[in-house]
Amino acid sequence: MIEAVGLSKSYGKTKAVDDLSFEVRAGLVTGFLGPNGSGKSTTMRMILGLDHPDAGTVTLGGRRYHDLHWPLREVGALLEAKAVHPGRSARLHLWSLAQTNAIPKNRVDEVLDLVGLAAVAERRVGKFSLGMSQRLGIASALLGDPGVLLFDEPINGLDPEGILWVRNLLKSLAGEGRTIFVSSHLMSEMAQTATELVVIGRGTLIADTTVDDFISSNTVATTLVRSPDAGRLAGVLTSLGATVSVADDGALVVTGSTTERIGEAAHAAGIRLHELSPQQASLEEVFMDLTADAVDFHGTSGATVPR
Amino acid sequence: MTTTTATGSPLLATAPGRAGLRQGILSEWTKLRSVRSTWIALLVIVVAGIGLSALISNVEAGRWGTLGAADRAQFDPVRFSQAGEFISQFVVGVLGALIVTSEYANGAIRTTLATLPRRTTVLAAKAVVIGAVIFVVSEVTAFASFFVGQAVLTAHGGKTLPEGSTILTQVKSSFIPVATFSSTGAARAVFFCGIYLTLLALVAFGFGLILRHTAGAISLFVGVLLVIPLIVQILPSSISDSIEKFLPSNLGLAMIVVTTRKTDFAGVLLSPWAAAMTLALYTVVIVAVGGWLLARRDA
Repeated sequence: MIEAVGLSKSYGKTKAVDDLSFEVRAGLVTGFLGPNGSGKSTTMRMILGLDHPDAGTVTLGGRRYHDLHWPLREVGALLEAKAVHPGRSARLHLWSLAQTNAIPKNRVDEVLDLVGLAAVAERRVGKFSLGMSQRLGIASALLGDPGVLLFDEPINGLDPEGILWVRNLLKSLAGEGRTIFVSSHLMSEMAQTATELVVIGRGTLIADTTVDDFISSNTVATTLVRSPDAGRLAGVLTSLGATVSVADDGALVVTGSTTERIGEAAHAAGIRLHELSPQQASLEEVFMDLTADAVDFHGTSGATVPR
Repeated sequence: MTTTTATGSPLLATAPGRAGLRQGILSEWTKLRSVRSTWIALLVIVVAGIGLSALISNVEAGRWGTLGAADRAQFDPVRFSQAGEFISQFVVGVLGALIVTSEYANGAIRTTLATLPRRTTVLAAKAVVIGAVIFVVSEVTAFASFFVGQAVLTAHGGKTLPEGSTILTQVKSSFIPVATFSSTGAARAVFFCGIYLTLLALVAFGFGLILRHTAGAISLFVGVLLVIPLIVQILPSSISDSIEKFLPSNLGLAMIVVTTRKTDFAGVLLSPWAAAMTLALYTVVIVAVGGWLLARRDA
């Protein structure tokens, strides 16, 4: 279990993380979601004792990272896949990590097998693709067979097969009772991998909930309506208490009503409809709406999340 | 995963003790030996040491017959054999800096500090490994260079001066003087050549910890060895005379020359032991500052 209480961290005048509290429970995959630059990596580094918080604490099973006697055997982390000397072979890289925590040598071959890098174990890491580097980073996280695993953007650079593999790996690790905390800036990815969510924007907590609750409580049902008599229909629907806006192509976007009620109202007023379709806000839209105020760097062409 | 328990509680976490210096040293040694640049650099130290010893000894042997009394008094067969030190000092500087700055360059320092959360342990492990490797290679090279240098002088007809010889004996000698290991100061000078290079590697290591940047650390290191002496020379001699002997490069010279035969160095250089102690003090201060910053700063 990971427990953060009142974590704060500033770099100069920039508040990277501000009074952040959350809990990550064992046996579940918890997604750590936020736009780029929202403080996810800073939080991860504070969990690992790499950055010192200005205020607050973060503990792993009740202990600070610094107090773990064999940290790799209790906490595995993938921070940056490319943070490896390019001239070193994959096997010797893992062996150098294993030695720091007195992990037996055969474990190196086990994790190489597990991530599918056994065949390239002797190859220099500098020649690895980003996907292979991610697998090596995952191997190093698993090296100590730890009960807590942190992954910072583990699917970056992976092909679809690799993404599926990571997703299943995380689920099976959680199924074994481990605590899995995985960050991403992609809501859709989290929805398929995680069951719990910690959402942050600009360093502050936006939501600490389950994926299902997050989606249902933040999704507003809208209905798309097309009619040759859109202007009159808009007036009818507004008088019934719905909120109506007009899309670029002239279609009406109706909230605060249902397809049934819209259809009945149009029929009663004698207005023909060409389209009447319920719209589910995509997870990505929900996430963007929620974090829009909390994004530091807006694109120039509208409220797009960077990258 | 075959080694996983049903609860996910780590099998290995219950071992006694904690990740410490022993584990850190093993890991740092694996890291150092597993990159090719280490072996190239160490090879350069050996080749430059032995090669320049042979070359310089050969050149100096050829000059002996033409030297006047003053130059003969300065003829230092031990020093000639350690000429490779001038090149090796930069190689050990690069190695010393890289053991820390290469990890800052690619981000691996965060992995290192996560595997061993006690930062003083990381500092000590890296210092022990780079210090020990440079010490062994430098000493082996220094001793081999010594014997190669004396062999070259002997091949030019050189002989050992008789016991109880003075500077005057050397000046009046009809043959090229050759040092033996029991010659006054010879063993000390050769041993201190390795010590000098080891301390320099640790100085560069300290610069690496402070600056966290390869080019910056190596520039500072080269600046201290080459540029600062030039600046000091420009200063009025009333100031430079008192500073010069404390410059790292002159401390190295004081450690390696056989001062009993170097009358004109008297007063210009510290005694070999004082020089070694001074350089060791510099090293301790620089590494301590680096270690203090390592412990305090975010990784």
